[in-house]
Amino acid sequence: MSRKVAIVSVAQSAGAESKDNFFDQAYRVTKEVLDKAGITRDELGSVVSASSDVYHGGISCANAYYWDPTGAFLKNASRQDGESLFALMYGAMRIMTGHFDTVLVIGLCKGSENPDNETCTLMYSDPFYLRPLGLTETMAAAFQMKQYLERYGIEKEQCAKVAVKNLGNALLNPYAHRRGRYSVEEVLRSDLVVDPLTALQCAPKSEGMVAMLLASEEKATKMTKKPVWIKGFASALDAYMIGDRDLLDSRLPAAAKKAYDMAGIKDPAREIDLAEITEPYAFQELLWYENLGFCGEGEGGKLIDRGFTDRDGELPVNPSGGVLANNPYVSRGLQRAVEAFLQIRGEAGEHQVPKQVKTALAHGVHGFAGQCHAVAILGS
Amino acid sequence: MGRAVAIIGVGQTHHGRRMDVSYPDLVREAVVRVFEDTGLSPEDIDGVVSGTMPSMMEGIALTHFYFAEAMQAVGKPILKTETCGSTGVSIAHTAFYWVSSGLADIVLAVGHEKMNEGNSQATMTTVAEPFYQRYFISGAPGVFSMQSQMWTARYGISEEKIRDAAAFVSVTHHDDAFDNPYAHVKVKVSMDDVKNARVITYPIRLLDVCPNSDGACAVIFASEEAAKRIGRKAAWVKGVGYRGEEYFFGDSDKVVWESAIQAARQAYDQAGIKDPRKELDVAEVYNPFTYQEMLFYECFGFCDFGTSPDLVLKGTFTRRGELPCDPSGGVLCTNPIGATGLIRVAEAAMQVTGRAGDHQIPGAKLALAHAMGGVDQFNGIMILGSNL
Repeated sequence: MSRKVAIVSVAQSAGAESKDNFFDQAYRVTKEVLDKAGITRDELGSVVSASSDVYHGGISCANAYYWDPTGAFLKNASRQDGESLFALMYGAMRIMTGHFDTVLVIGLCKGSENPDNETCTLMYSDPFYLRPLGLTETMAAAFQMKQYLERYGIEKEQCAKVAVKNLGNALLNPYAHRRGRYSVEEVLRSDLVVDPLTALQCAPKSEGMVAMLLASEEKATKMTKKPVWIKGFASALDAYMIGDRDLLDSRLPAAAKKAYDMAGIKDPAREIDLAEITEPYAFQELLWYENLGFCGEGEGGKLIDRGFTDRDGELPVNPSGGVLANNPYVSRGLQRAVEAFLQIRGEAGEHQVPKQVKTALAHGVHGFAGQCHAVAILGS
Repeated sequence: MGRAVAIIGVGQTHHGRRMDVSYPDLVREAVVRVFEDTGLSPEDIDGVVSGTMPSMMEGIALTHFYFAEAMQAVGKPILKTETCGSTGVSIAHTAFYWVSSGLADIVLAVGHEKMNEGNSQATMTTVAEPFYQRYFISGAPGVFSMQSQMWTARYGISEEKIRDAAAFVSVTHHDDAFDNPYAHVKVKVSMDDVKNARVITYPIRLLDVCPNSDGACAVIFASEEAAKRIGRKAAWVKGVGYRGEEYFFGDSDKVVWESAIQAARQAYDQAGIKDPRKELDVAEVYNPFTYQEMLFYECFGFCDFGTSPDLVLKGTFTRRGELPCDPSGGVLCTNPIGATGLIRVAEAAMQVTGRAGDHQIPGAKLALAHAMGGVDQFNGIMILGSNL
């Protein structure tokens, strides 16, 4: 790696519907993240945002719309579509080249102005074969869950435990959109969405302006005493048609391996202290444990049974409540990195985990049954 | 700064109204061609950058999913860059920074659009702010015609002169397109045809405007080491510049157009260019409208403000002129928007490597590629040279 890249400061908006308009919400987190780093907009090098037109209140070319409130006026800035961890990656690359010393990375998604996520994900379907079937992310996830239950003998109760854990964790996160103390029974008895997925096992539709300031080593160490380093990152894309794939054999191991190699991680379950992973459907958290190398194939259920990933477990996963608690679709990956940053710095407030966090993982996913994964490793 | 980056090959579709292929097959056509051009295979690719215009254009969102196979991107790291009309140049920038950062040696950049599957002007209307602005800046021509009128009024360019110059630009580019095998619109037009064409939005007439095209473009970027190992003549990235300005049309001056001026200046500074008209051998300017092409000449420092129509009429920017601009026929003859900026980059790379065929500018060594987007808001530049 040519130059080291650090995260200096972060800011996020709450997940519930806000009466603030898009510009005010975007401006507020932009200003907050710059103020926390002690720099003005004039000193800022570049801005890389993440947004998707299909999640942008019916306005196309989303980044044209929010160019001004995100501090990008007369800057060399750019934008990533679909996954906000892409923006973190691109922002880090821009610093690594030496062309920029600071980059503002921001994910923008105002869920309350969008149709249901189902309506939006239906737009991923090609118009000829899949769309007439009504294939959405939830339907694809239901196929995936059935295979997961059948192939490995995972129990529905084990999947429901993810929702119990994450919605319970969210009680301590002031930004969470949905939270509560539920029993496994209540999760399984909530409304059926697409069999076998029930409502409490599916993520809500939330708002999220999520920002962070990246800086080169030289600048970062001047701006903060506690820089959090970006140690590794990678993304991986899978085949489009879900029938062309083994839905339990995703490309997440490939993305994770690249990120681990960059960060020098050999045994992720031991070397990673905490993970914030994107689990829009409860069972996916268990499947992603396996794909990330936290446990063996088919062992995700056992891992949660052991309490291994509880807030006070050996490897806490989603102490923020994860995506089941807060789902600003495009911004959610970057929100995982923001939470990982806060935990490493010991600034997560009430949901700070008891153990010391030196190395944390942030994961993002979008597309049918996890077509595209993104992984970032952060460390103190 | 960073590592040196080269373009080692390009692939374009035959652009046009491509009802013979599906959208993924259109993308595949460009990607297959870049592999044929470079002799590389998909296994050689470390990462893929994809991009297009808004979902509404073809009614499909997050198209990197749909084109995973067509881009040969299954199992690859991916980024998805979108900046409206400037998407193509922004894709090229993303690939450049990716390789320059040292994280990848070979990156495939793919831009695409199948505009005949949707309604481009309806789509572009949804870019405009819905409460105050959408009523009067629907579609692209509205914005660009206001800009044209601001410009001609500011510098007192007479209606007769500007119409002559615009017609001259249109005639020469339509002629140029005959020498570009990939160009969409190939019609012979006269000065009178352009001047008497029906008005789209005054002062812009039908032959002052680009078409709706289906097309894709694929470009392979490589590190210095990879480029030398592969051993093909390469186009080296000498400078990248990008600027964006206010969303509300009317908040900023679109004549002395800061995003265009500063984007060019940033790229020139990196490339060490002081007098662009003398030092550049060819420019692929983003020219969906004849009037706007002339304004870009001024913003990019090819000439003083208010003087471009005179130089156009002298032939300064034709293929045999002092600084040939858009010898491919440019956007005026081919505009699959998400690919268009990347086509400018590809054409510039072809020129400085001597591979532009019948529209080659003899001896071209330094070229500019450009794209514009947003509500007259974004400008991106890439300078390519034949020497490292």
